[in-house]
Amino acid sequence: MISTLQKSIRPMWAVRGLHKSAIEVLKRPAPEDTVTASFGKFISEIKPQHLSSLVLYRSKRMVLDSIGVGLIGSTTDVFELALQHCQHMYALDDISSVYGRRGTRLSPTLAAFVNGVATHSMDFDDTWHPATHPSGAVLPAVLALSDMMPANSKPSGLDFLLAFNIGIEIQGRLMRFSNEAHNIPKRFHPPTVVGTMGSAAACARLLSLNHSQCSHALAIAASLSGAPMANAATQSKPLHIGNAARLGLEAALLASRGLEASPLVLDAVAGVAGFNAFYEDYVPQPLESPSDDGHVFLLEEQDMGFKRFPAHLGMHWVADAAASVHKLLVGVGPGTISPAQVQDIQLRVPKSKYINRPFPESEHEARHSFQFNACSALLDGEVTVQSFTPAAMSRPELLTLLSRVCVEHPHDNLANFNRMYGEVQVTLVGGDILKGRCDTFYGHWRNPLTNESLRKKFRNNAGVVLPSEKVERLIDVVEELDRIGDCRALLSQLQ
Amino acid sequence: MLRKGITESFGAAIHALNTNQLTDGVINRSKRMILDTLGVGLLGTRTAVFNKALVYSQLFTSEERSSVWGRSDITLPPHYAAFVNGVAVHSMDFDDTWHPATHPSGAVLPALLALAETLPSQPSGLDLLLAFNVGIEVQGRLMRFSREAYNIPERFHPPSVVGVMGSAAASAKLLGLSPAECSHALAIAASSAGAPLANAATQTKPLHIGNAARRGLEAAQLAQIGLEGNPAILDMDSGFGVYYKDYSPSAMPHPFCSGFKWILEDQNVAVKRIPAHLGMHWVVDAALAARGKLENTVGNFDLSQIRHITLRVPPSKYVNCPLPATEHQARHSFQFNACSALLDNKVTVASFNEAQINRPALKELLSKVQVETPKDNQPSFDKMYCEVEIETDQGQIFAARCNTFYGHWRKPLSHRDLVEKFSVNASSVLSTKGVEGVIDVIGNIESVSECSILGSYLRMTSSPHKQLYSTRVW
Repeated sequence: MISTLQKSIRPMWAVRGLHKSAIEVLKRPAPEDTVTASFGKFISEIKPQHLSSLVLYRSKRMVLDSIGVGLIGSTTDVFELALQHCQHMYALDDISSVYGRRGTRLSPTLAAFVNGVATHSMDFDDTWHPATHPSGAVLPAVLALSDMMPANSKPSGLDFLLAFNIGIEIQGRLMRFSNEAHNIPKRFHPPTVVGTMGSAAACARLLSLNHSQCSHALAIAASLSGAPMANAATQSKPLHIGNAARLGLEAALLASRGLEASPLVLDAVAGVAGFNAFYEDYVPQPLESPSDDGHVFLLEEQDMGFKRFPAHLGMHWVADAAASVHKLLVGVGPGTISPAQVQDIQLRVPKSKYINRPFPESEHEARHSFQFNACSALLDGEVTVQSFTPAAMSRPELLTLLSRVCVEHPHDNLANFNRMYGEVQVTLVGGDILKGRCDTFYGHWRNPLTNESLRKKFRNNAGVVLPSEKVERLIDVVEELDRIGDCRALLSQLQ
Repeated sequence: MLRKGITESFGAAIHALNTNQLTDGVINRSKRMILDTLGVGLLGTRTAVFNKALVYSQLFTSEERSSVWGRSDITLPPHYAAFVNGVAVHSMDFDDTWHPATHPSGAVLPALLALAETLPSQPSGLDLLLAFNVGIEVQGRLMRFSREAYNIPERFHPPSVVGVMGSAAASAKLLGLSPAECSHALAIAASSAGAPLANAATQTKPLHIGNAARRGLEAAQLAQIGLEGNPAILDMDSGFGVYYKDYSPSAMPHPFCSGFKWILEDQNVAVKRIPAHLGMHWVVDAALAARGKLENTVGNFDLSQIRHITLRVPPSKYVNCPLPATEHQARHSFQFNACSALLDNKVTVASFNEAQINRPALKELLSKVQVETPKDNQPSFDKMYCEVEIETDQGQIFAARCNTFYGHWRKPLSHRDLVEKFSVNASSVLSTKGVEGVIDVIGNIESVSECSILGSYLRMTSSPHKQLYSTRVW
């Protein structure tokens, strides 16, 4: 009896079974409806006329700053090491220029790599909110790729600028998929997560890939993303940006040859991680196809932060706060500060392990040390490129001050570049207490550098490796970039 | 929390391990892995994805050049030789699998062979074997730092996490780096780790192994010229720990301590008989057994007799694919592999051709499949099983279960079958002399004085007209 009962039940199962696999197929979203596809469409369809004048203005400032920072970065040890590596491993390949090195050219991805390393070598490059260093991952790749393109079809300045902005936009969109991305990072270094994707997007556009190839470029890039925070504040950190630029370009080149990857890489598929592998919380949104009305780029709504000195963004708050205390002290007594006057120093900063270093031992660590930057600014009134030289770092007065610092993490000081503040409180030997506080440093997106200041920074940087005529020409070319017919006008001035 | 000294212990061990520590057990097992990897790689040079990687890699020029397996006419810059050969190894998902889960050899061997070709004095076979085992050992050690690693992955594809570290360690060994340099090689490699699982079952998956090989080699070379990373990279949660939800690292014992034992000694690898995800091997063996029962009872096997097929498998989304459209998806589909086995009474390299995938008879059979994931079926290559249950029109049920497929570490391939797999694979590209030469060299690798002889056999391709028959097999 039971066996016949079972037999009669089974056919129903069988019927369900017959249709279950079909239902499974239906349950999967149609290819066109995915977040991944929407990104591919955007990259291939957005047009130069969608760039508003504000976006053009802001992105040209980014391009200028990024080049300047890359040029001075070409004087660093880590850049030299990366360049030597590329030249030893690969023969001279006369294609893409290396920043600041007359006559030196490399294969496109290698040029993107070393120029990216240069850009981030001193932690002097731009920072956005949510946090990442967007330009260094994109510009070197777009430059290298432009060098690679045939002489009779070089991109115009506007095409170049559009590709650059796509690379920035994609990064911004991806970071908005998670709350985790809004705070100072703890796990993956953001440029290695979104930077590679931005580079892939920009290069895919410059290569005029169709929307499917653009999607695949992103998916291929996802398999090349992700590096741990522990390598920040080490000599390897600049390679994060170098690799983001290089690998994004590589992803686009592979996609152009037909390599395919996951069509759902940006979508959140339970049990099979795509791009969400890099985040604890992840809610993706499709990108709308740009219509005739246009598209509002994120750069329009959220400006960029530019650094005034080569150190982690968080340092700028304590440096400005300490500088104001320095001014008070100098007002009180003779022109220089003597550590003998200082009894103790309290810093009130957000909680973030990788920038809390009482006694940094290398320039890389010093650029990631609240204590070091506060004391340097207290001593000298400002932090500059020279503050990180071995001589400056080993000054006895500085070391004395460092030994008197203690760090506090007030609850209201959030580890978020949009909300944090820096407070420096100095107790003098006499008992007087001097306080400085900075909510928004000069250069932050709420208080942007003037064009004057930005150009001054650029001249100081670029002038270290280029003659002044080239420096001035670069300023002019970038200013005119959206009106230039052939981007070689830019490419030819970089070394 | 900073646990001191773990990264340091790895650097010290990589540096200190020498050929005296190689036991017979480890030598035997690793030689099998090397032979299998070469065969699988040679066959893989016929794939479309390999071709794309090769064309791309030919953009680069260099003075130092390394061989592309199975090509007498092409060389590439060493990093890109490691890349394309690694892609070849994983191109058909035919390479070895370990427990905890990863594909250890493909990330290491291509890097070592590419590197060896550039060294001013050629390493001996034993040097190569030692470096290879260092690369495998480091991967095994790292995977034991988390519970998450013991199950079929969901987030990061393991070869992209531990493979690049193994390649860096092996390359550092072959280069003779100092303990500190070995540690930095690992740190630099960590910044190249981690690719999401979503690209498995796509054409990009083989690049995970290719990139692991290439970037591990690069990390070692950067460390050699003095680049430094975080000296506590393995100790920190914000270091290598970022790739795992639970992370509990421990130091690697010094090789001269009596407590040192190679992981490979205790835990063997699985060698595949089918170019598909490891899980497919269980379902294929079960399907063949169930089919056998059906044939024995009913007589002539007729597909139309099948009303319904139930598969009982462990839960794993990326190998649950009811209707695969590409070869990559087919290699990651319980349903496809079960039905291929039922239809053809075997699953081979040829089963994954486009033509084979699109057969109406196969698709019809696929429509009859239902997948269940019983609670006791754990997504672990050490614990899973597969059951295939066929129900016929007459209402008869034929079921079979596979706990351990032939080729699994609990039931390793015989030496004869391993060599046979290699021969069949390698013959698609190499001449008979090349095939036999490789078997011979690997078989006696401990006594080979210069491993460049291996390279010359890997370049002994069969005559062009033989290869012309199938310039693109898949």
